[in-house]
Amino acid sequence: MDKLARFFKMPPQIIRLVLLTIGIICCYFTARYFLVPPSFGEFGHYRGDALQMIASRQPFWAGKASCLECHSAHADKLAKGDHKTLSCETCHGPGREHVENPVVKLPKLDVSLCVRCHEANPSRPKWLHQINPHNHYTGNLCTECHVPHSPNDVP
Amino acid sequence: MSENMTRRSVLKNLAGIVGGILAMPAARTCKAAVQNVLASSGAPKGYDPFQHKWLMALDVDRCIGCGLCVEACKAENSVPDGDFRTWIERYVITKADPASGKSRGETFVDSPNGGIGGFKTSLIPKEDILKSFFVPKMCNLCEKSPCSQVCPVGATFESPDGVVLVDKNYCIGCGFCIQACPYGCRFLNPTTHTADKCTLCYHRITRGLKPACVEICPSQARIFGDLKNPVPNDPLQAFIANNKVERLKQNLGTNPRVGYAGLDEEVR
Amino acid sequence: MDATILTNLAENVPQFEGYVYPNERTLHPLWSTLIVVYPYITGLVAGAFIMASLVRVFKVKALEPIYRLALLTALSFMLCATLPLLLHLGHPERCFEIMMTPHFSSPMAMFGFVYAWYLMAVLLLELWFDYRRDFVEWAKTETGLRGIIYNAFTLGVTDISPPALAVDEKMGRIISVVGIPSAFLLHGYVGFIFGSIKANPWWGNVLMPIIFILSAVVSGMALCVFAYMFLCWARRITADMRCLDLMTSFLFYALVIDATIEGLDWLHRLYSAEEGIEVLRNLAAGKLFYTLLLGQACLGTLVPLLLLGSLQLLRKKVSELNRRRAYFTSTALILVGVLAMRWNVVIGGQLFSKSLRGYMTYKLEFAGAEGWLLSMALIALPFIILTVLIKLFLARELPTIENVVPGATPPPKAHPATA
Repeated sequence: MDKLARFFKMPPQIIRLVLLTIGIICCYFTARYFLVPPSFGEFGHYRGDALQMIASRQPFWAGKASCLECHSAHADKLAKGDHKTLSCETCHGPGREHVENPVVKLPKLDVSLCVRCHEANPSRPKWLHQINPHNHYTGNLCTECHVPHSPNDVP
Repeated sequence: MSENMTRRSVLKNLAGIVGGILAMPAARTCKAAVQNVLASSGAPKGYDPFQHKWLMALDVDRCIGCGLCVEACKAENSVPDGDFRTWIERYVITKADPASGKSRGETFVDSPNGGIGGFKTSLIPKEDILKSFFVPKMCNLCEKSPCSQVCPVGATFESPDGVVLVDKNYCIGCGFCIQACPYGCRFLNPTTHTADKCTLCYHRITRGLKPACVEICPSQARIFGDLKNPVPNDPLQAFIANNKVERLKQNLGTNPRVGYAGLDEEVR
Repeated sequence: MDATILTNLAENVPQFEGYVYPNERTLHPLWSTLIVVYPYITGLVAGAFIMASLVRVFKVKALEPIYRLALLTALSFMLCATLPLLLHLGHPERCFEIMMTPHFSSPMAMFGFVYAWYLMAVLLLELWFDYRRDFVEWAKTETGLRGIIYNAFTLGVTDISPPALAVDEKMGRIISVVGIPSAFLLHGYVGFIFGSIKANPWWGNVLMPIIFILSAVVSGMALCVFAYMFLCWARRITADMRCLDLMTSFLFYALVIDATIEGLDWLHRLYSAEEGIEVLRNLAAGKLFYTLLLGQACLGTLVPLLLLGSLQLLRKKVSELNRRRAYFTSTALILVGVLAMRWNVVIGGQLFSKSLRGYMTYKLEFAGAEGWLLSMALIALPFIILTVLIKLFLARELPTIENVVPGATPPPKAHPATA
């Protein structure tokens, strides 16, 4: 310590502190070597692997395109009417199981579904056909008068 | 005395060098083991994020407030109850009292459970309503996102293809990004204890599918597309060409990319 | 999310008035009492250090009795500063990321380095240079655990010759000078964290870091006075009135500046009346009435200003006992008032929606991670650590210069063997 002190012409307490500082900085860089993830900084200040990780989640909804692969007739009918903006799964629910194994059938639909979109509400835009479910028809099924796949037609 | 020290010091140095060389493979194995927790490899396979720029636009006049998009997102992304990656707001603007000399009356905004299950008829009598509409809300895909600016560790970021994402394996859960988002689109996920938000269904769009909300929306209120790869009859390009567009909280300088067509002044 | 909140969301729950973004409808605020405690603690550190630096840098001789106490106070609070943050994180086991991959655009990323710098390069170093001579001497005379501790803290350097002591003195002064901006950085960055959030009109403004620093200095100085008076009372010795009078003078002027800037903040908000002023005004007058108007403004600022201010003018006419009572009351009020200020900023900023149309109400729990029991424990812990530090380094029996330790025994005569 005294030799070092004399060599650098610094008081011994300063030498001791400088050595301690160098030690701490070395510890920091050693820790960095181990703890910074490998893909960090690849595209920006984040783990490049994160993109792959986020993209690897399994999709839940099948998507209209996969329905159209087999049910193109329905798709053609749909495309001609006001319901052309709907996806199959909007009404029929999640279809992935059926796409993977067509033996599995999707559940039957309930008319509450029609009311969900078509119930009259002052907040809804005017271009939407809206009905008051209590007055419009007191029967059981909307499908008695309407065809969901081509709503402009009658059954 | 000095000879002993020289030999001793040389031997010490040699030992140090040999030790260092022997330690390197051990250090490397250690590093690999430690980093295994955080590693896999590169961008999604076959997908180059630099070749795409995703955007969603919202047409307020087309939203019917059915809330199916919120439910679809919840199913797609396992969003916890009470947290929302997207939601619908209903604005009800009442008529002004003529004596007041104002053009509009009060504005009432609500979002019961984010719009899940649809909206029951408003308690405000129909005759008092001047105008009313639904506004879908989501991450505004800011170019200068304040959320990624304030993340202390680099867990939330703007991807090269224009989506603001959260790396849930790296997030420390400090909540700074949630505080910094002016649009209220972030939340702390109670299961993962990390920040969470709309990912534009990154796992779907990188496979050529549409985000769940866009897929399920019955009225084309949500328009989605790739600005760098427009398809023939691209709905997004048509939207951009045909609509005057407003963005939310532009005074804050976050440069939100999500444009709203038909936005009213009362929307925040 | 609680099931009760869910079922009530369809109707307007009194918990959320007006319109609140769906993601803001949480049981607890995101940044809760733990985040109130953290700036309070670092503020006390910064303020106590400023008080100590008045002795070293500005050579205010009359304050020497509290020099070591101020530094030890700063140290004991500094040691606890990371606890509220760690307890608050969603993933405390990933806390190292903030130092390994700091995102420099984030003020929070500064935390790791500023904290490490301030703890090691400022506080510990300055303490070491001041105590070094005593460590060497005490290591010789004390036995047992204490002897080992003092020996360890000498770091193996035993040179206490006059040139070495001169080096200590010089280094101590340099560190004090460097320490003042470091103290501002330590607490200023916390203010900047809030000041940088443009999404929140209560937080995001340019005066926020300044207000944080100023109230930190005030609280730290008040803590020094309070601790000194308490220590003297505990040791049954009379506090040095000259020291006390001077400390409280500085405290008064600091409080004046602090109150002015906070007042300016409010004046400017009310005058320019930008969007959101209605929400903020309702917040201040409504939900924050007790903590802001009564707690922070009246009790925490106005009353101490009046007390200390009148004592500045009437010092000669007021007896020592009454002055001491006034100082004790003022500093206690200031300490509570500054805590109220942190509360009003942190919690207050989360009581209204970013939609600027609604307010949230939260229930403050007693126990649990968000509860105030934990926060009180975190505020009490530094005092426990300070007691230990005082026993080790400011003990009455330890021989040292008398006026640097309240009630200490004077240094022993030089030992014949070392003369």
